[in-house]
Amino acid sequence: MSDKPSETGKLNSAPRGLRRKVFVSLLLLLCALALAACRDGGYNRPAEPAQNQTRDLADDLGRKIKIPERVERVVSLAPSLTENIFAVGAGDRLVGVTEFCNYPEEAARIQKVGDTLNPNIETIIALKPQIVFVSTASQLEAFMKTLEAQGITVFVTNPKDLNGVLANLQQLGEIFGTRERTGVLLNELMGRILAVDEQTRDRAKAKTFVQISKEPLFTIGKESFLTEIIDRAGGVSVTKDVPTAYPKISKETALAFDPDVIILSESPDNLEPNDVFKKSPAVKNKRVFKINADLLSRPSPRVVDGLEQIAEALKQ
Amino acid sequence: MKGRSLKPEVKSLAFGGGLLILLLLALLLATYLGSERLSFFALTDSQAAILYDIRLPRVLLGACVGASLAVAGASLQSLLRNPLAEPYLLGVSNGAALGTMLAFVFFAQFEFARPLFAFAGAGLATFAVYRMADSRAGMNVERLVLSGVIVTTFLSSIIVLLTSLLDAAKLRSFTFWLLGDLSQATRGGFYLTFAVVVAGTAILSSQARALNLMMIGERDAFDFGVEVSRVRWIVFALASVLVGSSVAASGSVGYVGLIVPHLIRLTVGSDNRLVIPFSALAGAIFVVLADTVARTAIAPRELPVGAITALIGAPLFIYLLRRN
Repeated sequence: MSDKPSETGKLNSAPRGLRRKVFVSLLLLLCALALAACRDGGYNRPAEPAQNQTRDLADDLGRKIKIPERVERVVSLAPSLTENIFAVGAGDRLVGVTEFCNYPEEAARIQKVGDTLNPNIETIIALKPQIVFVSTASQLEAFMKTLEAQGITVFVTNPKDLNGVLANLQQLGEIFGTRERTGVLLNELMGRILAVDEQTRDRAKAKTFVQISKEPLFTIGKESFLTEIIDRAGGVSVTKDVPTAYPKISKETALAFDPDVIILSESPDNLEPNDVFKKSPAVKNKRVFKINADLLSRPSPRVVDGLEQIAEALKQ
Repeated sequence: MKGRSLKPEVKSLAFGGGLLILLLLALLLATYLGSERLSFFALTDSQAAILYDIRLPRVLLGACVGASLAVAGASLQSLLRNPLAEPYLLGVSNGAALGTMLAFVFFAQFEFARPLFAFAGAGLATFAVYRMADSRAGMNVERLVLSGVIVTTFLSSIIVLLTSLLDAAKLRSFTFWLLGDLSQATRGGFYLTFAVVVAGTAILSSQARALNLMMIGERDAFDFGVEVSRVRWIVFALASVLVGSSVAASGSVGYVGLIVPHLIRLTVGSDNRLVIPFSALAGAIFVVLADTVARTAIAPRELPVGAITALIGAPLFIYLLRRN
């Protein structure tokens, strides 16, 4: 009942015609909640207690989100979220994804709802999803409000580091009731992360520059989760103190960093280091490495692939 | 009112000298300031690389871009007898931007393709505007400005369409460039824009007397023996080349062509023999200083210089409009 004030607040702000709809769905939700509570009291199901309940789960904006009893139809508005939903074994419940969702292969067969920045609201509503998953990186605040006004639950994620990725996967496992499979996945990922930690523990940290785009020169900053990845992989990002996640960096400063290693986020406009690095130890000693941009830009299980590849590169 | 006792020629000569000294000071300041501190008397290898390969080409390119845009603006305004005539308003900049963009998409591997396509784009846009505005009754200024607006918005929509169709990686570098960005300065780019701006300013200055007469009216100019259509073509062609070379080097740096000639006319009057060369100097000062702010304000990150020129230019222009 503690949620009622906030629900009423939403009611007042909604257009008049919508209020009844929202009210009805609220009633239904309360019924479902009561039913779930009864059931929970009735049975003792320690194996998968989450599956048959309606729960409140906090998303990464700190909002309490009511998750339906069974989640069968969802839309993902970020490639990383699509990967994560497949990874926790719920890929078959995705009814809509973005144009950029290219992994795993099965994602290609799912209905496209636009790109991450311009999703098509009509397509999404027509798909009747129970939950739409959104990443804060897509900046879709206004869009979220429209969806919520349609009675579609929006779940926002914002993983900032490796732990955030793991926590996000765990959350998804809970939402979809695939805890077991998620547990296996998390164990595997944590094992691989620890193996990299082990491997890099006593190594000298290589000064690493991550080049996101050659011209203009973009790199990673303080708020990028790659800063942590580089650190774990046995390097130190030379731009780790620069504000924001993906800053355009001054060429003068980039040259002065004099990096030992350059990591290129592989894309058509970023296949070689910027000219300012031509005298750097990285270029002289041929320590320039291309890593698939998707592994570096998506907070998904594949980020651990990226971590392993960077650790391998830094070892050379 | 001190200047009243001086002859006007002496006064404007002094003003020109003052601008030249200011430009030198601005260049010195811009060379001194940057995201890295340099010890100018004992440069290490990497500091020398920063100074000669990165900072100086950029500062000097900024000066050339500023001069090009201001001269193009000044001569177009005289020709069209409209102080609002600007490379942007006439579609010249957007033509150059679209040309550069096409070179960027289809001929990314050829660096020389960018300025060539920019000239072509600027020239085609100018030609289109010119033909739309030309009528049997001669060139009508209102018609010309209106055609410019139409061509500008049409080209903008093509640019928006293209950026929507381009893939995300290319889009990122391009959107930054569209705002005006000097960070991609190279020595080659500087030499090209320098040659263009020196030649362009010299030729346009040589047409200053004809432009002065055309400001009174094209018919009057014709009666005074000015080959009106030839002057028109020279101005349009050179403005296209000037704008094209600066857009290819640095994207669209706004407000320079509008605000700089305006300030110069307020100070020395509307004699194009003074307005054109002085605009070149003042435009160079404006962009060099604006880019210094862009480079240092949030160092080691950078701002697009076009945002700075617009931030200064727009309020300044409104102030000047209200004052008159």
